[in-house]
Amino acid sequence: MASGMQEKLYNPSLLSFFVYNPSFGPREGEEEKKILFYHPSDVEKNEKIRNVGLCEAIVQFTRTFCPTKPAKSLHTQKNRQFFFEAEDSFWIVMVVRNPWVEKTNKDGKPPTIEYQEEEILVRLILFIFLSNISTALLFNGTFVRAMETGGVELLMQKLEKFFYRYLQTLHLQSCDLLDVFGGIAFFPLDKMTYLKIQSFVNRVEESLSLIKYTTFLYNDQLIWSGLEQDDMRILYKYLTTSLFPRHSEPELAGRDSPLRPEVAGNLLHYGRFLTGPANIKDPEAKFRFPRIFVNTKDSYEELHLIVYKAMSAAVCFMISASMELTREFCEQLDSLVGPQLTLLASDICEQYNVNRRISGPEKEPQFKFIYFNHMNLAEKSTIHMRKTASVSLTSVHPDLMKILGDINCDFARVDEDEEIIVKAMTDYWVVGKKSDQRELYVILNQKNANLIEVNEEVKRLCATQFNNIFFLD
Amino acid sequence: MDKDDNQEKGETEDIRSCDPPSVDPNLSTETDNCSKAECQNNSGDQPSTDPEQAPTENGHEDSGEFVVTMLARGKLEEQGVGMMGSCPPLSITGTSEGAPTHRDEDVMAESWRQHRKHVFVLSEAGKPIYSRYGSEEALSSTMGVMMALVSFVQSSDNTIRSVYSDGHTVVFMQKGPLVLVSVSSSRQSEQQLRGELLYVYYQIVSMLTQASITRIFENKKNYDLRRLLAGSEKILDGLLNLVDSDPSFLLAAVHCLPLASSLRDSLSQILQKAITPNLVFSILIAKNQLLTIVQEKTVIEDARLEPADVHLLLNLIGASSAFQAGEIWTPICLPLFNPDCYFYAYISYLDPPECTVCLLLLSTDKEAFYAVAECKRRIEEAMLTQSSLSLIAKAHCYSVSQVGVSDLRHFMYKPFDIPDHHKQLTQFTSPEMEAPYSTEEERRRLLDLYRHMHGRIHSSSRPLKLIYHVAERETLLAWVTSKFELYTCFSPLVTKACAINAITKLLRWIKKEEDRLFIRYPPKYSTTPNPSKTHDKNE
Repeated sequence: MASGMQEKLYNPSLLSFFVYNPSFGPREGEEEKKILFYHPSDVEKNEKIRNVGLCEAIVQFTRTFCPTKPAKSLHTQKNRQFFFEAEDSFWIVMVVRNPWVEKTNKDGKPPTIEYQEEEILVRLILFIFLSNISTALLFNGTFVRAMETGGVELLMQKLEKFFYRYLQTLHLQSCDLLDVFGGIAFFPLDKMTYLKIQSFVNRVEESLSLIKYTTFLYNDQLIWSGLEQDDMRILYKYLTTSLFPRHSEPELAGRDSPLRPEVAGNLLHYGRFLTGPANIKDPEAKFRFPRIFVNTKDSYEELHLIVYKAMSAAVCFMISASMELTREFCEQLDSLVGPQLTLLASDICEQYNVNRRISGPEKEPQFKFIYFNHMNLAEKSTIHMRKTASVSLTSVHPDLMKILGDINCDFARVDEDEEIIVKAMTDYWVVGKKSDQRELYVILNQKNANLIEVNEEVKRLCATQFNNIFFLD
Repeated sequence: MDKDDNQEKGETEDIRSCDPPSVDPNLSTETDNCSKAECQNNSGDQPSTDPEQAPTENGHEDSGEFVVTMLARGKLEEQGVGMMGSCPPLSITGTSEGAPTHRDEDVMAESWRQHRKHVFVLSEAGKPIYSRYGSEEALSSTMGVMMALVSFVQSSDNTIRSVYSDGHTVVFMQKGPLVLVSVSSSRQSEQQLRGELLYVYYQIVSMLTQASITRIFENKKNYDLRRLLAGSEKILDGLLNLVDSDPSFLLAAVHCLPLASSLRDSLSQILQKAITPNLVFSILIAKNQLLTIVQEKTVIEDARLEPADVHLLLNLIGASSAFQAGEIWTPICLPLFNPDCYFYAYISYLDPPECTVCLLLLSTDKEAFYAVAECKRRIEEAMLTQSSLSLIAKAHCYSVSQVGVSDLRHFMYKPFDIPDHHKQLTQFTSPEMEAPYSTEEERRRLLDLYRHMHGRIHSSSRPLKLIYHVAERETLLAWVTSKFELYTCFSPLVTKACAINAITKLLRWIKKEEDRLFIRYPPKYSTTPNPSKTHDKNE
């Protein structure tokens, strides 16, 4: 390169994350008491106090203009801060560093840093932020309740324990529109198989009366859930981006690999616990089920989360946390559910293969689209080839994904049905349709098409995939 | 100084001082050395604001003296005594007879919070300079908080940009020693809000020059700039109202009054012939839109007149009814052309008392009032013989129905510079807003929609070529090509095929009407500078 300049792009990254309550340290000299959690913990105490102080000042300042709707985010050249009042006076703040480019200079000059402020999709980060908080609340319950149980100390402990691990799994650069939706992928099933699953759930719930809620997933997609939608979508995200990936690697390992879990010589079924006892046969091993808090707005239930898997089928059983779950209970569940679930899993697999044979060999999906239904949270994407917390493999350019994000942002500005079609600088067409709580985004690579031709293409897509849904023409 | 002379001419009150409102002590003595040629050549020199020549105390002294003079005049004006001659800058007392203004608003009231857009200007020391709603005194603590936020972030080697909340966006901008803040519920993008703040900054510069502002604050960090801007709040208020309601600002282009090209040519020729040394721009305005503009050749070779400067000029003239009577001779800075030096503007309405046609002549020579006034007389005579005024009175904005496309409700078309005429003033054309956009609220709503599309299509990180938006009350199409930028509004039920057809027809119609809709070839003249004041560019 003639200029000797090299550019290195840095993605947006988490700078800090903290929780504070201004009423805990209202007097001068007591500021430290306001801070309930701060990551990274090795930041100097005064620095922490300063940063919290800035948040308070910003929130206060915006109340001058609207007392009931204070600040949600602060944007500076180098970073962005997102504020959320989780409950009365409990504030959660996330600070994200802006994407930046480091250009090396010749002549031994220090490299220049250029912050790319326009690149970031604020709405996206905001949704991720809120989703983090929802997950925290799912696993810890509300702040107020925690305080009632064990005071500030308990709250701080819980926050420390949860966020310390959770924040390490936060990957901002692989986030896109699907993270805004927080939807659920449903597994397509024929009626017979669906009924089989229904009756399985009923039988288990009847036999083990302790069970309050059940959810059934196959292949990381949802089939049935007894939970409220809002709780389910958070649980779904946790299962598919955190719990299942953690346990899938050993399963994929070879038979003689040390990673392979002990099947414990049980040849009757392939079922095993993903939470709770790793090895049901070992009487000495201690185990514990994670607890979740659902229906926090009304009935406020604390439940044990039992996740049990057989091949590609996973079932969650939720039991009131007031019950003690003994080894005997787990063995009972194992012997009841294991064989049935194994059978069911292979049934589903077979049916799925039959369906696929009928519908034709797997080919490159003709249309690149993303669909989301706000009412049942169903999402479908032919753009994503793989999506986990750390990886988002899409078949389209990230800039096009950002344009999708912009269109989604525009749709959110009004309640009415709308349609937005844009032509990007690369001559790709992006079509967004919002109709009656459903959103559809289509990306077309037809450089020489005009508006009318693009419209025809999208109509064809709707006719084949969404023929019972009315979209604006 | 020139008081008596002006008295003879029967000028009225509220004339801006012949002395520019800067605290530059050397201006009065430096006229001979005022390097007008430098101004013309846009070398960026500050002809009369050479900091080395100004002893630091002078700024302080002069400002004090200046204030006294201002207050004295202000008093006389209030008493209705016709003030002739130099007077405080832009004291717009024309219409206000104690009518409650924004300044009197209660800043604690809900109504104050409900305003669509607040704009605050303060100094780096946190001293309030301007607030769109409410008095600066009442808001001084709020402004103090704003400054504290700016400094706090600055102290960690960072710059504050904005704060978002559900209802509002707060945008911060620092320009030199001034901090500008916008608090808006208009849902505009940060970039657009910042662009509007820049206009406010430039309007302030147009009154004081950037060099003066810098120097004032260098000398005294907590100087109260309101002393120099007293009376000019109306100008800033007017600017902000225009920014909200006039698409010129969004498009960064000037709106011309459609005129038969023969009439425009004849007017241009009249202007072209009435020149005098050091005259740089001759502008004819009608109904707040441009009729024609004639420019000095050598000046234009170096720098073009930016639409923003024209907007600031138009706002200045339109913001005060005081400009309507008689002749005004006032210093004005064109911030994008040269933020550090003054032009001297001769402003006169040619058709009192209706005052719809305004002549604006810009000179670099402070002493040229008589010569420039003489140009006006020549122009007036020529226009009389050609009955230009009655012809101009017939000119008006066109209706979209003239295009002959049924579904089209409104549009804005801005051609890009064609290489041959790259010194041309950027312009746009747009019809009247008619039903269903007949109320101010609906017009603003449509403009907000255009603004949103403009922001998306010109995004710095992911710009677009075309946006087609079907919404509940209208369908909008925005299109940017290498040759033009077009925003169109259709009825919501229009089909895509109809919309495409409509646009094709529209573009054809615009091409046909080009000569009428735009100033296609801004004419030029050459005014050889006064020999004794010539400065060779290369010296």
